Amino acid sequence: MENVFRSRNRTKPIVYHLRDVTRDRASEGVTFRLRVPSLQITQGEKIALIGESGCGKSTLLDMLAFIAQPTDIAAFRFRPDEENDAIDVAHLWKKRQMNQLGELRKHHIGYVMQTGGLLPYLTVRENMALSRSVLELPPDDTVDSLARELGIARHLDKLPETLSVGERQRVAIGRALAHEPPIVIADEPTASVDPFAAEKIMSLFIGLAEERNITVVVASHAWRHIKRLGLRRLAHHTHRSQDGRTTETVVNG
Amino acid sequence: MRLFKTLRLASRDYTHEWQMSGCFVLALAAVLGPMLVLFGLKFGVVGGMLNQLIENPENREIRPITSGRFDMDWFGNMQRRMDVAFLVPRTRSIAATVELDSAQSGRIVRAELIPSAAGDPLLPPDLSVPDGLKEVVLSQGAAEKLKVKAGDRIDGSVSRHFEGRKEREHVELTVVDVAPPGAFGRDGVFADVRLVESFENFLDGRAVPELGWSGARQEDARTYPGFRLYAKSIYDVANLKDDLTAQGIEVRTKAGDIDLVMRMDRNLSAIYWAIAIIGLFGFSLSLGASLWANVDRKRKELSVLRLVGFRTGDIVWFPVTQAFYTGILGWVLAIVIYFGAAYAINGMLVDQLPAGQEVCILLPQHYLLALALTVGAAVVAAALAGWRSARIEPSDGLREI
Repeated sequence: MENVFRSRNRTKPIVYHLRDVTRDRASEGVTFRLRVPSLQITQGEKIALIGESGCGKSTLLDMLAFIAQPTDIAAFRFRPDEENDAIDVAHLWKKRQMNQLGELRKHHIGYVMQTGGLLPYLTVRENMALSRSVLELPPDDTVDSLARELGIARHLDKLPETLSVGERQRVAIGRALAHEPPIVIADEPTASVDPFAAEKIMSLFIGLAEERNITVVVASHAWRHIKRLGLRRLAHHTHRSQDGRTTETVVNG
Repeated sequence: MRLFKTLRLASRDYTHEWQMSGCFVLALAAVLGPMLVLFGLKFGVVGGMLNQLIENPENREIRPITSGRFDMDWFGNMQRRMDVAFLVPRTRSIAATVELDSAQSGRIVRAELIPSAAGDPLLPPDLSVPDGLKEVVLSQGAAEKLKVKAGDRIDGSVSRHFEGRKEREHVELTVVDVAPPGAFGRDGVFADVRLVESFENFLDGRAVPELGWSGARQEDARTYPGFRLYAKSIYDVANLKDDLTAQGIEVRTKAGDIDLVMRMDRNLSAIYWAIAIIGLFGFSLSLGASLWANVDRKRKELSVLRLVGFRTGDIVWFPVTQAFYTGILGWVLAIVIYFGAAYAINGMLVDQLPAGQEVCILLPQHYLLALALTVGAAVVAAALAGWRSARIEPSDGLREI
């Protein structure tokens, strides 16, 4: 076991430990590079990634959710619970153990997409219960009580297409929380709703995560109201090379 | 359990998007339906025509041109050949007529005697076989003139000049059956070889003790001047003809016609296979393309499933299930289209065809073959497309709008 996990064990365990992780993406002649020299996220922490779209926020979140493969990894360890040893994610990626990465995600991570990502053919209740049903958790009142807390209880038996965008985002948050994961990752969960509703949904989301002692990583372009919610802001800066061929974002924290 | 979950989700999606699913089903049926009609026509027209030509016994007949002396040994050897379907001795043609009379008709009908036996290619297999000296099968023309039907009795008579006197002998015959119109165009009597032989014996001045007719005693071994010979199939005719020619027996066959039929069979088959292969190719391509496009369209939803923890293998079942539905429903609709078209085509041509024959026809195994091809092609295309979309990184799929 790595020292980093031991040394901090007395305080709070580290969920994510990344060192020199990069991901390159080429698009229309421009290479976008996201570089993470060092990143550690402890259990129960609420992290905010603030920045304009296109700077690589989503890329980092996708790497943390194991749905985007880093180009280079010096170290990438994931320790969702204290009982077990840290998992070497770098090794799983190298072996392309997609299904094992999927298992990790399924058990430990809830993901809120920018555009909801609800399945149009399932009712709100079924969409929220999807993460539970994949884990074959027994049906209980988790979904109903979550829906009450999110203020969407009266929509439970409707299809997503009949809901407003804000309501759909609440359903997406409900789905990410329904299987009670230790970690929730949210990619601009309020980007497509008006600022007033955005603030309300975001504080509802952070409040629910706080109650459950969930580690949260959220990307957003609006820092003001997130600051009030007490999130730790991840420092990052973006620079473009002189010829404009490469854009590099460096995240540290 | 996981598989069942995927199947359930795929079915929910399929019914939720019923308009889109309906379009895919329609698109499939629009290609498969005409294909079925085309195959129905190929099978009905060419099959029917070929059957008519191949099955027509006239094309398999081998007739001797000159008369010879064929003994029972020769007949025995020939009958044992695998390529001989039917062989009976024939008497002299001048002796092979009989005068017929019936109670129902006032006139005497002169009819040709045709030596027959079980398996006579000119008589349908369900007809009774004339057996012995008292039974005959009449051609349609003869039966009409005599106003008799199966089961009736008629009088057959022959006359000869014997020892300076004109003699006439009668025999009571039972009409065991009447041949269909196509079997023999003139007035004819199908009879057991022994009856035909008896008439010839009588004409030649010999006695026929079985019928109580007097005359000279039969002394030398019987030989026959001719035969009725039918090859097993039209493809055996040429070989039989060569063998008989080698024995010094000159024969006439329809080898020329047969060659024509066989060439036509080959040419038509080639044409239809060309159309069929092009059609099948286009069909698989259109089916594959539409299913492929559908999987591409659903890439985001499939990525969401992977995000919540569905495995790559589970994901592939999603489009495969939907392709299976599209295949089955498209096939059903195509058959409905086919039935409509076949009904119309057959109805249009009903007057120009022999009773019971249809221009557009498919057998049950053809429907099953179409089903297997359709579902097979659909599932393969969807599995490939599903596999491809399962291979891409879920983050890429999620970001696509």
